Formats: sequence, C-alpha cells, structure tokens
Amino acid sequence: MSGVSVDGQGVRARARNEAVLDVFFDGRRIVSFWLQRDGVRDGDGWLFAWPKTLREFLDGTTEVRVVVTRTGQEVFRDEIAFGSGRGRVAVVNQNGQPISLDKYLRRVVAFDTRTSAELEPMLDAIDEVIAALREVGIEAFLAYGTLLGAVRGGKVIGNDSDADVAYVSHLTHPVDVIRESFRIQRELIQLGYRITRYSALAFKVDVEEADGTIRGLDVFGGFMMNGHLYLMGEIGDPFQESWIFPLGTTTLEGRTFPAPADTDRLLTAMYGASWRIPDPAFHFEPPATTVRRLNGWFRGLRVGRARWDRIYSRVLKKMPGPSPFIQWVASMEGALGTYVDVGCGRGADALYMSERGEPSLGLDFQPRAFAEAQSRSTDNGLVTYWPLNLLEIRQVLATGAIVARRPGRTVVTARHLVDATKKPARDRLWRMCRMMLAGEGGGKLYLEFLVKDGSDGYAGKHRVRRRKPAKIVAELEQWGAKIEHRETIAVSDVPGASKVCRLIAEWRAVDG
Amino acid sequence: MGEKSGPEKSGAEKSGAKSRAGKNDSGLVARLRSTRAGEALDLRRRVRRLEAEVQECRALNIRLAELTDIVTELLLPVAARDEEKLAVLLEKYRQSV
Repeated sequence: MSGVSVDGQGVRARARNEAVLDVFFDGRRIVSFWLQRDGVRDGDGWLFAWPKTLREFLDGTTEVRVVVTRTGQEVFRDEIAFGSGRGRVAVVNQNGQPISLDKYLRRVVAFDTRTSAELEPMLDAIDEVIAALREVGIEAFLAYGTLLGAVRGGKVIGNDSDADVAYVSHLTHPVDVIRESFRIQRELIQLGYRITRYSALAFKVDVEEADGTIRGLDVFGGFMMNGHLYLMGEIGDPFQESWIFPLGTTTLEGRTFPAPADTDRLLTAMYGASWRIPDPAFHFEPPATTVRRLNGWFRGLRVGRARWDRIYSRVLKKMPGPSPFIQWVASMEGALGTYVDVGCGRGADALYMSERGEPSLGLDFQPRAFAEAQSRSTDNGLVTYWPLNLLEIRQVLATGAIVARRPGRTVVTARHLVDATKKPARDRLWRMCRMMLAGEGGGKLYLEFLVKDGSDGYAGKHRVRRRKPAKIVAELEQWGAKIEHRETIAVSDVPGASKVCRLIAEWRAVDG
Repeated sequence: MGEKSGPEKSGAEKSGAKSRAGKNDSGLVARLRSTRAGEALDLRRRVRRLEAEVQECRALNIRLAELTDIVTELLLPVAARDEEKLAVLLEKYRQSV
C-alpha cells in the first residue's frame, strides 16, 4: 500500500494486492471498502470515488484517516477541505444522529456510535422476538452479523446496524417451510407484532422499544434438504443437522442468547473460512446455484419494492388534494356500495370519496404512504386503509373476497398503478378486480396511466413508465373485462405535456 | 444483513422464439450446426432454456403454499356454511397475511 491521497473525488492508493480500508472523519469511521473491487483504475493505482450516499455531506473541513482494516496500519492522515471548506464536515441524519455507510454503501446509524446503555433496547428486542418465536414452536438463534459479533468477541460489530435472527425448520420441502413461515407470521400477528414479509421464507418483525422507537428485526428461515442447509438470504451449503441442533448459547454484550450447535460451521457457511478476520466491506457472494434456488423457491414477492420504500421513507410532502382523475370518476358515478383505490399512495382520493359520503377503501403495499390520511380519517368512519401487496396471492384473494361480499355497486380505481407495475402484478390486479366487480352489485374499473412521456417531467414526478393502451386493453380482455370507454388526454395545457390514457372496464357476469 | 428481492420471472419466454430449428435450415446452416462450435452453441442455448424452465418450476412452490394456506384457513370453514363466522374469519385472515 503506497501513494495514498484523499481529495474531493475520493481515496487514491497503489497496492499490488487487494486490501480492505477504513476511512475515518474526525476520528469516526465513515466507510470501508475493498480498494480493487470497489475502486476503479487510476493511473498506476486505484481510485475509490466517494459514494453518492456520502457526497452531499462533503462540505467543510475534517481530519481524514485511512487505515488498513486487517493490520490497523494508518496509511493516511491529514486535514482535508471539501467544497467551501467552511465548518467541520458533519455526516448526520435528519435527527442529527451520526451515520456511516454500510457494506452496501447505504446510510445507517451504526452500533459504534451507540453506548452500551443505548444497545440495551435492541438486546431486549432480540430476546423478545426469540421468545415469541419459541412460543409458536420455533427455535431461533442469532445469525449473520449478530452471531459473528457475538462469537468473535462477545460484542456487536461496530459497523453493523441491525440485528438478525434465524431458524432452521424441521420440515424438509420448500412448500412445507413456506407454509410454516405463513403460520409463524399469523401467530406473531396474533401476539401483536407487525410483520413485513421479505420473501416466502424471511420477514421483519417490528418491536416497539421503551421510548417508542420501532426496531425491525430480520428473521431468516432455513431448512435442510438432501444434505444441504438452505438459509435465507445467502446460504446453500452441504451441512448436517447436528451442526444446528441441539442449540447452544453465545454471549452478546454480556447477555446469553441461543446459537447454533456449531457456530464455526455456520459462520463459515455465512462468511467463508476467514470469518474470524474483520471485513467491514464484506459482500455475500453465494454461488449461482444457491442464488437460483433461493430466488426460485422463495423470492419474487417484493419486486420493485425497495424503490418505493425509499421514496416513502423520506420526509413526505404536504398531503395532496384529490386528483383530477377522481373528480372525473366521481362526476360519473352516483351513490356507491364501496369505492376502492388500488395503489392509493398518500390516500387523498379515497379520503375525497369518503368525504362525499362513499364508503371508501385505500390499498397500498407501503403503509407509510397512507399513514397521514389514515390518521386524518379517524373520525370519518367511511374510509379505511389496508396494506396490500399485489404479489402476495393470499392478500389479493382475501381482500378481493371481502370486497366482493359487500352489498351495492363497487367502483375500483387504479391511478398510475399499471404504469408502475409489471405484468405479474397486473395479472393479480385484474384477478382482484374481477372478484370485486363481477358480482351481482355490479361496478366498474377506472384506470389512468401514462401513454406519452412529454417534456414536462410528469413521468419522473409520478415515477411511472408509459404503457401501450392496446396492451393494457388486451390484458383486461383476456381476464374477461369489456372496455366501455377509452380516451387519451394531455395532463396540462403546457406545450409538450405528457399524455395519459383513461379506461373504463366492466365485468358483466361471474365466469369463475 | 439485508434481504434481496428476487426476479419475478426468469427469462424463459425470451429464449423460446430464438431457434426454430429444422424446416428452413439451408444446407449451410445444417453443416454449421453439425460442427463442434455449432453443437456447443446449441447446447449452451438449450442449457439456458432448461435453467429458465427449472426456475419456472421452482416458482410453483410459493404458489402451492399460498393456495394451500388459503384452502386450509378459509375454504374448509366455508364448507360449514356459517355466514357470520365466515365474515369474521375472512377479516381475521386478511389481517394475518
């Protein structure tokens, strides 16, 4: 390692072999990286460019230190001025908490910024989730970074930011372990927990800490099949059940937690044989066969979700008013039995319809999106909001069945939904619409989606991609719908305005 | 660690249209196919298609589990024809998924 320098672009260094480096600002670790894997060729050396997630903080002066993770050798230390150079560089989140970048270069509040007293609520949460799982018959243990920290030094890993637990099912077929995971979810919900499903074999349990903060703990399911352990989200290794059961214990921050019988074998499966050597920039690289198996068996339930989660995790703008689209729908409809907005987002249209006296239901997969509308509607008994993920058939069928049983005429709208989803999600949408609308009460589906991307930035603002009306019409007809109305309109009078298509569809009779 | 989202569908459909071998092969194409390189190319294409088809089959695991879950939790009680109980059950099921 030689020629290490730091500037507004990033960290430059020459090295014959791959090396893991930690970067500190004013004594606090900010990011770790592999020089050659994460860097680009730069003259006779390498350049690790500052990640996008860090760049907005780079204004001011800070003492930058670069250290070789493995040896602790300091290879650079200097006072560096970024941007205007005024003030000290502050890498903090909206709440002023110090943040750093994790191995995927995402911003996190890492454990190394917490005192041990501040870690207690998380340890309590782990205890609580493991106990809850035990109550529903599942023997869970510490996993991934949490297990690694415990076994390596009895402490959480400084650059880690969340806690993971895992279990290995006694069942041995993907279908059975998925059904078991559904059962666990059901029983945890009955115990009062909120669950967000990642895949058919992994989910997040939200635990409320004493101060009201919600902490999400990841629960990864696994099972043994044909002499292999398959464990979400990265493992498919030759393994023996006796390396897991009977569970042993390990110590984390002075407290005892369940651990697999052979922690060395499981950590080797997770992090490779060199798991004892710290590597804050470690990337999981399971073989293609493992990725294909886990993808094929268990994944595909949250395609495109990360993007929307990110959008709704920011501070949300002021609650929007009703859309011109819903005003158009309302102008054509009389009194309804039920109004349903699929992909309701912030929930403004459902709120509007309920204020007009229509019993309304807003559906969106991200509850944060409609949280404000929901809290505003507490004294308005006419509107409800439910989470719905179109990629989870159980949710689609149950929601469809409930609405289908309601008396009276039903109107379903989906504004900028078919232009934000792909065919698998749309197929579930059409199925649910048919359930809701093909009954005796009758009803209609109103759609609005982008068909021409203008120069007005409309597509970006609504985060949609244009769709061909003929394609959407063909899908609907395949699902037994009749198109009653079709028009294309400009979204504004501005020259170069984007255009949207409005469709009205109907299902006449129940045909299964 | 975080969780990944996986592909909703494999590329199975894409590979279908590529090689409609047989009928219109000219003599040259047939000769090229019979060479070692041609055979290797053909095999590679077939393996790709097979991999995609295996993924399609694997995806059935989730479907089967989802549908079995609904059948055991909902349809069996439906057979009892108790309207009130069914409404309660449906709502409870929706909240649990």
